[in-house]
Amino acid sequence: MPILLLAPFVVLFAVFFIFPVLYALYLSLFVSHGGQNIFVGLQNYVQVFQDTAYWSGLLRVILYGVIQVTIMLIVALVLALLLDSDYVKGKAMFRLIYFLPYAVPGVIAAIMWGFLYAPQLDPLMSLFSAKHPLNLLAQGHVLAGIINMATWEWAGYNMTIYFASLTSIPVELYEAARLDGCSEVQTAIHVKVPMIRQTIILTVVLSIIGSLQLFNEPFVLASLTTISASYTPNMYIYNTAFSYGNFNYSAAMSVVLAVITFVASLFFLYMTSEPAPSNKKKVNRAEHPNMNGVPGEVR
Amino acid sequence: MISTTNLQRENHRRSADPVKKTATTILLTLIAAYFLLPLYWLLVSTTKTTQQLFNTPMLLFPSHWNLLSNWHWLNSYQHGVFWRWAINSVTYSLAAAVLGTLISAMAGYVLSMYKFKGNKAISTSILGALMVPAAALAIPTFLLVKSIGLINTYPGVILPMLLNPFGVYFMTVYIREAMPAELLDSGRVDGANDYWIFFRIGLPIINPGLVTLFLISFIGTWNNFFLPLVLLSKSQLYPLTVGLSIWVGNLNTAGTGMPLYPLIMIASFLSVIPMLILFGVLRKYITSGITMGSVKS
Repeated sequence: MPILLLAPFVVLFAVFFIFPVLYALYLSLFVSHGGQNIFVGLQNYVQVFQDTAYWSGLLRVILYGVIQVTIMLIVALVLALLLDSDYVKGKAMFRLIYFLPYAVPGVIAAIMWGFLYAPQLDPLMSLFSAKHPLNLLAQGHVLAGIINMATWEWAGYNMTIYFASLTSIPVELYEAARLDGCSEVQTAIHVKVPMIRQTIILTVVLSIIGSLQLFNEPFVLASLTTISASYTPNMYIYNTAFSYGNFNYSAAMSVVLAVITFVASLFFLYMTSEPAPSNKKKVNRAEHPNMNGVPGEVR
Repeated sequence: MISTTNLQRENHRRSADPVKKTATTILLTLIAAYFLLPLYWLLVSTTKTTQQLFNTPMLLFPSHWNLLSNWHWLNSYQHGVFWRWAINSVTYSLAAAVLGTLISAMAGYVLSMYKFKGNKAISTSILGALMVPAAALAIPTFLLVKSIGLINTYPGVILPMLLNPFGVYFMTVYIREAMPAELLDSGRVDGANDYWIFFRIGLPIINPGLVTLFLISFIGTWNNFFLPLVLLSKSQLYPLTVGLSIWVGNLNTAGTGMPLYPLIMIASFLSVIPMLILFGVLRKYITSGITMGSVKS
């Protein structure tokens, strides 16, 4: 076995993955006091569990995730089904346009939309009502603004995955559906969607992971409007470490977030691991533990 | 890969109702406008002064163009630091994409072509690593990089970016499909050693996979924000994403009291353009990468 081919990755994995994980666990058991690290056991975790700012941030990203992931994936699925139907000409062009925002850095997308949300800059916002222009930067509307940003950035990405999955369905199945008298819409709902069930589950899991890590958009928007330092767990973790220099508490919070993310992903995978009961056809259960296309990307 | 050809697919198309066709096309066009208009607005905005941004119709070019003065402002602002950031972004993205892809390909090759003790353990850890959010690792990574004295250096940013568990997973799956195991045996019969076989026979065969992973890594690094934000505090080392976010933070406060809007508009536009071109030209490779594993072969 050519060990030297494997060695660089194993070393990187040990140094920049395993070590940081263990180091975060280690840090989370201490407090810094006058330049001294004092072992406090699980005290930081007790503090995290009592920290209402942390949990309200977490609730906010969960709320955000439920709404955003639902909207985005429905949009993506409908677009993919429409582009896979007989109704459309110029499919390649539409696919390119919808997928385009994937190439735009999340930060730039956030800047762009952040400016577009400013009522002075964007007359579209004042269209909603001449007297009370909708201000997506105002308190209470920021989350809606972020939902729109993330949907703009990632709907086409997910559509691309669905579309590729749809094109791998054998045409014979459509033929059979047509002989059974299925309309195009019925075929989409009863044949196509069940066939790409595994792909849909995969995108849900990846999107949940992404939405719990929400950071870039609120971080940029914090420059344009009032957003609290603990708006999302990741913002809280970042600000605790780099604005207040409390690395120990920050580490404890990131361990809790990582565990929650991990458990949420596994829970969702477990909940959906039963085959669809109504689907008697053999469903191709492709193995795809992950296909996160954006290494190191934080949403 | 795909069991039905596109031609067969076309032959199975039925002639659809023209009303439905038109309605669908209108809907899809409206949605396309949603995806395109912000980018078009950004393009238009590069030609405007702050005043024009606020006073002229947002989607129309102004009667008097200020593209050139915005361009000159960008080049001179903070001694042209924008171009420094652009060079940094190119450097980080190239280094992470070239070296990261090679490292991932080497590891993926060994994991897919050789049976050995520990193979399963490594493969499982990689899948586990994919579920751990990168942001959770950022704080300890910062402390680690700081303690080895690499904070605010190029290697300090690039080294953590070389680790790409997704890349190894991708290459493992790709190589398993693209490279017949017999090649290894026949190469050995000819007396070649395993390293020679990898570099001379393996790499050319897996070339399309390498291109795909290179592009995905390049875009991922170019767009990355959190890791460089955490690891860098020296403006001279920022990539575009971090630099621009700092400008947005200084929107109304920096310099002579001139709002930085036009600067941020033209800088954002220039940061997006290379990605859009790369993306448009090489979309096939990118698509095959992000859909890998979700499409049954």
